[in-house]
Amino acid sequence: MQQFLTTSLTGLTLGMVYAAFALALVLIWRSTRIVNFAQAPMAMITTYVALVVVDAGMSYWIGFAAALLSGLILGAVTERVVIRPVEGKPEINAVILTLGLFVLLHALAAVIFGSRYRSFPAPFGLRGFQVGDMTVALTGFGIFTIVSVVVVMLLLVVLFRYTDLGLMMRASAFNQEVARLLGVKVGRMLTLGWALAALVGSLSGLLIAGGSLVHPSYMDSVVVYGFVAAVLGGLDSPGGAVIGGLILGISLSFVSGYVGSELVALAALVVLMAVLLLKPGGLFSHATARRV
Amino acid sequence: MGTASIASRLGQVRSKLGTSPPLMHLALALAGLVMVIVVLESTSQFRNGQFAAMAYLGIAAGGLTMLTGLNGQLSLGHGALMAIGAYTAALLLPDADAGTPVVLVLLAAILVTTVIGGLIGVAAARLHGPYIAGATLALAVAVPGIALYFGETLGGEQGLTVSLPEIPGWFADVVYFVSAHDVTGSKYVAYIGWLSLIVTYVLLANLSRSRVGRKWRAVRDDEVSAEIAGINLARTRVVAFVVSAACAGLAGAVMAIAVRITAPSGFTLTLSLSLLTAVVLGGLGSLGGALIGAALLTFLPQLVTGLGHDAGLSDLQAAELAPLVYGLTLVLVILLAPAGIVGSLRTWQARRVPSKPTSEQQLGVQSGGKK
Amino acid sequence: MLDIRDLTTSYGPVKALDGVTFTAPKGKITAVLGANGAGKTTLLRTVSGLIRPDRGSTHLDGQDLARMPAEKMPGLGLAHVPEGRGVITELTVEENLRLGALGRADRSRPADIDRVYSMFPVLNDRRNAVAHVLSGGERQMLVIGRALMAEPRVLLLDEPSLGLAPRIVVQIFELIKSLAESDGLTVVLVEQNARSALSIADIGVVLNLGRLVAHDEATALAADEKLRHAYLGF
Repeated sequence: MQQFLTTSLTGLTLGMVYAAFALALVLIWRSTRIVNFAQAPMAMITTYVALVVVDAGMSYWIGFAAALLSGLILGAVTERVVIRPVEGKPEINAVILTLGLFVLLHALAAVIFGSRYRSFPAPFGLRGFQVGDMTVALTGFGIFTIVSVVVVMLLLVVLFRYTDLGLMMRASAFNQEVARLLGVKVGRMLTLGWALAALVGSLSGLLIAGGSLVHPSYMDSVVVYGFVAAVLGGLDSPGGAVIGGLILGISLSFVSGYVGSELVALAALVVLMAVLLLKPGGLFSHATARRV
Repeated sequence: MGTASIASRLGQVRSKLGTSPPLMHLALALAGLVMVIVVLESTSQFRNGQFAAMAYLGIAAGGLTMLTGLNGQLSLGHGALMAIGAYTAALLLPDADAGTPVVLVLLAAILVTTVIGGLIGVAAARLHGPYIAGATLALAVAVPGIALYFGETLGGEQGLTVSLPEIPGWFADVVYFVSAHDVTGSKYVAYIGWLSLIVTYVLLANLSRSRVGRKWRAVRDDEVSAEIAGINLARTRVVAFVVSAACAGLAGAVMAIAVRITAPSGFTLTLSLSLLTAVVLGGLGSLGGALIGAALLTFLPQLVTGLGHDAGLSDLQAAELAPLVYGLTLVLVILLAPAGIVGSLRTWQARRVPSKPTSEQQLGVQSGGKK
Repeated sequence: MLDIRDLTTSYGPVKALDGVTFTAPKGKITAVLGANGAGKTTLLRTVSGLIRPDRGSTHLDGQDLARMPAEKMPGLGLAHVPEGRGVITELTVEENLRLGALGRADRSRPADIDRVYSMFPVLNDRRNAVAHVLSGGERQMLVIGRALMAEPRVLLLDEPSLGLAPRIVVQIFELIKSLAESDGLTVVLVEQNARSALSIADIGVVLNLGRLVAHDEATALAADEKLRHAYLGF
């Protein structure tokens, strides 16, 4: 019973992080029809920024804010400078481009920050609560993880559903030409989309790093899990990304706990293939593929 | 014979060969073989080892460039497929007494990878673009974990050692006859690699020019038209994937023999992405480009690391310069020369002969922006 | 009014528009007609800034629209309802309309969404419906309403009758006519359905292979049998 509870709670917490990362991928996919594989090293770099700030003696929260801010900037600059030229071109170009960024940012981080494992602080406790003679595997940091992701998601919902800016972003994502004809500065909306996505990605980077070890490759498996979660929910569906993340987090946690942690990536692959073969649009898709 | 008649004779030969691609490929292969012999016999053991690496990277890159360039399927999992070939070879060559003939080892690796590649190919056949990239990415991340999970048979973290296959007597004799040197282990491996590469490339080149190759391109360019023309999309894609997987498996086996060890750490995501870099740089669909890419992957790191040291970077930092260059190159190639090195050369050549595009083509290109 | 002078647009070596010149007067409907590929859609897309012309100019009430990007057009008083309507099916009816208002020039007053709802009662009934569920005719009304939210002086319409039942086409065309009259709107109406278009238009312009081959009162064009047979299909 204890293990079941522990596994579930760990899975829930982890699932929230995957949900956030999946959300970042979905935001970018919806606006530019690109899967940003480079989101992982981008988040990794902003986490290193936080580490540098903390090493310089400032508090965790300043580092936290620095990471989120650098995420915004990094996302905006990447879209404007690197990605803009391939939008609308054959999709293979964008895929290779983001992979190139993946490799480049990895190496850059290793050169600038070094490859050795660094420990990252956590602002809240990392031990579970005691309830009677059971230890509930929900740590202070775990609660913070869940709450912060939920807050960010609510803020995004408010932005998209209730503001003019959100309306313009949704229009740009749906059909760039129509949006332009209605006066929407589509280019700026795309940049903003990437900036927000990178912000969310940075958040997941910080949450994974908290109380754990950081090194240039530490976010790599997260991009795979985030991608699987996003596909599970449907690449076009932000809500789906969240639910996909939770489902995946809990499933993988059970695989890790009851089968073996080495097979977690394989389990994610199996989930991905199952979704793509049975319901390619994800659990929450509307569109059906055109068949000849 | 005067030079004029020699030239006209050569011209005749070339035009004779030019009419038959397989013959031309064979001629290139023979020329390549001669060059390989010359180079391997005249360079050091260390260089031989490097050339062996270039060979197995070239084989994998060749298969990948066929898959991505001709058939349009992107794969980030070819490092994992190499791992499968490598582990097969390792299991067949566990110690010096094994005595398994090298050809058998290579064929076994190809067979195993073909079967597994078939399974993956069936799953991947319905995917495109970012989906297949993500799926093969997941594969690349998942396979090392499998090797760790089955630690007893597959050696776990440390991996399995691979013994060198016995050098056949006749081979040693031939080498001595040609160069008056004894054949070393490294040289033998280099020959294995390069002979495999030449055979593979001839087969791939012939495939590319054949009906099968045309089918692959048709599926890449326009699915709907291809299907209307009666081509089975899924089957074509699976065949393409299997062929490239077989190449990766062969490459992995050669790598196992060359490096003498197979461990999960040798097949990281970096390997798959490096293969992609080689293929993009050389130009998707070009075997010559794949070879150039493999050469860069083999010889560039040393060069770049050296430069890094000179610039004052630490050892660890300098080691990261090679991946930095790969990443930067991928980004720049896509932004500046999407057709890769070979493709850009071809376009540049073609541009010197002006041709009028059809109005339909132009309209299709220019009316972009419609969603 | 909309003044078009020597407008020329090419796709590579092909001239889709070749020296087109005409004026669409204020408060009137100018129909742009011609066969498929004549350049009608290219004309609208060039005027609204989606495509850059090789040469030529467009003036809106005297203001030069040269080289302006499409995003600026609603602010300058030009609204373009594109081919295929461009309904954003993910958004609700109300959201589509609100979106249209965001581009208008005068943001000091609130957008007059009620006016559009009174013009199109069927949209009023479906305010919060996702646009996906609307019928073809309702979608056409939605995009016209959305364009009107920007308070334009010039309205470009690309094949509004496409895919609609004749009865609905009549309804929509009558609506366009009354808009032109009541608001003094300059309407440029591209249509394949030349007969219907000429029945509500004041002026007719006929394009063939990018060139302007006829420019006359609508009634005169409708009466010209040779012209009709040659370029308009009836």
